[in-house]
Amino acid sequence: MAHDATHDHHDDHHGAPSNFFVRWCMSTNHKDIGTLYLVFSLLMFFIGGSFAMVIRAELFKPGLQLVQPYFFNEMTTMHALVMIFGAVMPAFVGLGNWMIPLMIGAPDMALPRMNNLSFWILPFAFALLLSTLFLPGGGPAGGWTMYPPLSLQGDSVAYLVFAVHLMGISSIMGAINIIATILNMRAPGMDLLKMPVFVWSWLITAFLLIAVMPVLAGAVTMLLTDKYFGTSFFNAAGGGDPVLFQHIFWFFGHPEVYIMILPAFGLVSEIIPTFARKPIFGYKAMVFAIASIAFLSFIVWAHHMFAVGLPLGGEIFFMYATMLIAVPTGVKVFNWVSTMWGGSMTFETPMLFAIAFVILFTIGGFSGLMLALAPADFQYHDSYFVVAHFHYVLVTGAIFAIIAGTYYWLPKWTGHMYSEFWGKMHFWNSVVWVNVLFFPQHFLGLAGMPRRIPDYNVAFANFNMISSIGGFLFGASQLIFVGVIIHAVWFSKKKALDRVWEGAKGLEWTVPSPAPFHTFELPPVIHDEELAHGHVED
Amino acid sequence: MNQSKATIEEVRKKGVRRTVTVFGAIAIGIFLLSLLQGLKYS
Repeated sequence: MAHDATHDHHDDHHGAPSNFFVRWCMSTNHKDIGTLYLVFSLLMFFIGGSFAMVIRAELFKPGLQLVQPYFFNEMTTMHALVMIFGAVMPAFVGLGNWMIPLMIGAPDMALPRMNNLSFWILPFAFALLLSTLFLPGGGPAGGWTMYPPLSLQGDSVAYLVFAVHLMGISSIMGAINIIATILNMRAPGMDLLKMPVFVWSWLITAFLLIAVMPVLAGAVTMLLTDKYFGTSFFNAAGGGDPVLFQHIFWFFGHPEVYIMILPAFGLVSEIIPTFARKPIFGYKAMVFAIASIAFLSFIVWAHHMFAVGLPLGGEIFFMYATMLIAVPTGVKVFNWVSTMWGGSMTFETPMLFAIAFVILFTIGGFSGLMLALAPADFQYHDSYFVVAHFHYVLVTGAIFAIIAGTYYWLPKWTGHMYSEFWGKMHFWNSVVWVNVLFFPQHFLGLAGMPRRIPDYNVAFANFNMISSIGGFLFGASQLIFVGVIIHAVWFSKKKALDRVWEGAKGLEWTVPSPAPFHTFELPPVIHDEELAHGHVED
Repeated sequence: MNQSKATIEEVRKKGVRRTVTVFGAIAIGIFLLSLLQGLKYS
């Protein structure tokens, strides 16, 4: 067991620097940096969420009510940028920072100082991005996809590009750190095919990040030179091609979708076996499915561009390649269901969010299959159907998984149990209102309502009102989450056990709760029965 | 499992340096390649 190493430091709960600035601003400790990432992402979640509230308030009724159309466009653009780069990605990096070293028996991340830099770049990047809202010319309003020439209008292009560069540098450094940690810092005996699925999912995600973030950096660099240095990469009048931007952007953009969902797959693959009290069904298949999805994500980018006028052969290729992703994704969904089948299931909050993930993410997957059909996409393209689709994938997919992971490991981080009652209140409110928010958007899209508009035909009024009510209440429900976290960190009296959940397996549960400041300074002696996947058959 | 802490740290350090060099170079290479694609097709 791993106790040999960890128990040496059983009393080392207070090894952290006492000076607040030194501890949090100069930290090289993976747990503290993980906490910083998670707190930052929660803050960004609420900032991005407040932009969504503006959008839903404006769309509550037809006509222009609250904001000017340009400001509305700023809100849709900033909502996406903040949620993608500020909330979802940093949340997964935070979870990875906290848990990967604990799960593989490493004392810390491989590059602790770079880890600190990766995090501290982010607040500056987002301060820069959000500051544009207060500039005289306003912030970026051309959508998060930044298509030229639309995105080149306005004076905030340089701010946006520099902010995206900073986020990209942060992500690439984070990804290199995670790969270096997993490949080099595993405790002896922690073979690759004994690693938890969450660690596998992060390893594959880090490869994706390194492959595509530089492509985004290249694309926005060319936007910058087109705007300020007289080049014509994307300017047809100067011999360039605006569609070229779309190809380059989506070569980044589609794998980016998987960057936001693969770690979620990993999280759910940890949680379901714990609360079903069974090993995951088809461990190797799960790992290979994640790798297959990652590979396929590189050859499907133009399904975002069916309406741009692709050659027929291109449309057919990208249509079938996209539909192929359903195969490894189906493997994962069936394996999660098979893991639950016949298990001794209990329904604590993390499990409820994980089950909701499986069901609701699958709905998002099905609407994705509909969008993959090139002929049908001509109707769905740029409609609210697309908005409904990707919010099912990203909210009930990625964000539900992040919430599930937070509830799952919160007792390990804080040493205290959260309130199960309020956790369940959070779950039921979230799951009801998120469907009220996004399900009607399918109907709006199929009826022809375009996305990114502040006003609409009265025919769409009822579903928009329902969607907005769902949005306000889903947003309000997330305040319960904050309350549960604050209670667990500072007020909960109920101590967490080392192995917080009865059915939990893996090295992270062999260290005390809360996890000491330093863990696994000496590599643990690993016994396969301690691991969730200690006995994988070849 | 019988390796000493110092040996493990040395092996880790060497591996980490190699990993960072390889993946850092890949990232920079892909960035330059995407700019080249822009030049080629515009």
